[in-house]
Amino acid sequence: MAEFKMFEGCMIGNRIPFIEASCRKVFDKLGIATSQAPFSCCPDPTGFANFDNDGWLAVGARNLALAESEGKDIISLCNGCSNTLKLVNHTLKHDSFKKDKINAELAKIGKEYKGTIDVKHFVSVLKGELEKIKSSTVKPLSGLKVACHPGCHYMRPSEVMETDDPMHPIDLKEIVTACGATVVDYGEEVLCCGSSVSNAYEDHGMAILKKKMDAVKKAGADCLVVNCPACFQQFDGKQRDLSKKFEEEFKIPILYISELIALGMGIPADELGTKFHRTRVSDILEKIG
Amino acid sequence: MATDFEFRKQVLDMHMSGVIKYCYQCNRCTDYCPVAEVTDNAYNPRQNILNALLGFKDAIFSAEKIAIWGCTVCDTCDEVCPQNIELTEIFKLLKNHSVASGDAPDFYYLQAKTIFENAKAVPSQPAIERRREQLGLPAVAAPDINELTTLLKNMGIDKKLKGE
Ligand code: SF4
Ligand code: SF4
Repeated sequence: MAEFKMFEGCMIGNRIPFIEASCRKVFDKLGIATSQAPFSCCPDPTGFANFDNDGWLAVGARNLALAESEGKDIISLCNGCSNTLKLVNHTLKHDSFKKDKINAELAKIGKEYKGTIDVKHFVSVLKGELEKIKSSTVKPLSGLKVACHPGCHYMRPSEVMETDDPMHPIDLKEIVTACGATVVDYGEEVLCCGSSVSNAYEDHGMAILKKKMDAVKKAGADCLVVNCPACFQQFDGKQRDLSKKFEEEFKIPILYISELIALGMGIPADELGTKFHRTRVSDILEKIG
Repeated sequence: MATDFEFRKQVLDMHMSGVIKYCYQCNRCTDYCPVAEVTDNAYNPRQNILNALLGFKDAIFSAEKIAIWGCTVCDTCDEVCPQNIELTEIFKLLKNHSVASGDAPDFYYLQAKTIFENAKAVPSQPAIERRREQLGLPAVAAPDINELTTLLKNMGIDKKLKGE
């Protein structure tokens, strides 16, 4: 496999880097090579795009140009970043008027967007390595009941993301199964985590989060697996507030899919920094043994 | 209710193929919208599409902020719309307008300012840099902040920012 440019994103790189740690360890085991580049913010498809569309296109195109200059595809660890980079790539490839406009701005800083590379979400890459994941799992996670949350922007909008079924996604489930764990269906797999609306309307985000966590709890899942840092922060970080607000215990450990794979590969939890989770994962670690 | 033709033109321009014209108000977008559900339709994507298509600029921008900003950008409406309308593209235009008039929720100005000044929505911090080291991670490759600020300034983004 050719080397990718690693796009860890602002949230993982500068706030919850333990997620990058598990991703890098899993990539190493699977032979997925990466190198760094001085990328800026992607920028946020639910924030900055809504602030100024052209500014968002220009910053995204500049990031793509950095990877293009090395002729390498991007691997993203985040739904938001992969959504932005794919949307920008798609828009500029299909709209020559916009492309010229953005390139006129990039020219002033000595850059040019050409449209020569692809952007991959790491889950799509892992989905192509199921056999390898199976064979490198030394601690089968059998008996572990896992609820899956691929997150909106892993697969939507589908004609741009081109990853999974937009309303009945299976990629994440297949990876969980390859690790030997058991997928539990909870009926709200494609419901948003509520992160974006929380930025301005916290209560509405909490109401959506409640609906989600109620379903996960009812299904009897041991943990909820995610592949986006914004979703992770919403589920892991806000769970305590949710319990307080609705006077109800949830205590559902949240694992990044890379953490689940790494645990199955026998990588010690210490090395993954699982102690930095806000919602305790010790029950899961005990269960895996 | 008056049609603002300039605004209507901008809405139609967002869709080169003009599919927004085929909205038949089936309400599927609102039926599937998670925010419409928890707000009792105080946030209503179908209504936004109707007002945008008719060029009812005042109706859109004089309403409560949540009528535009309640969207959590889950892109579900885009998928379920039987007419293949990319609703969120239209909503982006509405939000961009709201930002330019200074009416968006604070979060959006704060995030844009952080990106403008740091080239990252989450700037690097010493405590996290140390944590990266402990986890055996390389330092994040530092972005060229000057270059990014110049790019955004050239595009007039700095004039839309707010606050200190
Ligand atoms: S789902 Fe599409 S056609 Fe139906 S009301 Fe919404 S925008 Fe119009
Ligand atoms: S993208 Fe916005 S309007 Fe569409 S379903 Fe999601 S929250 Fe509702």
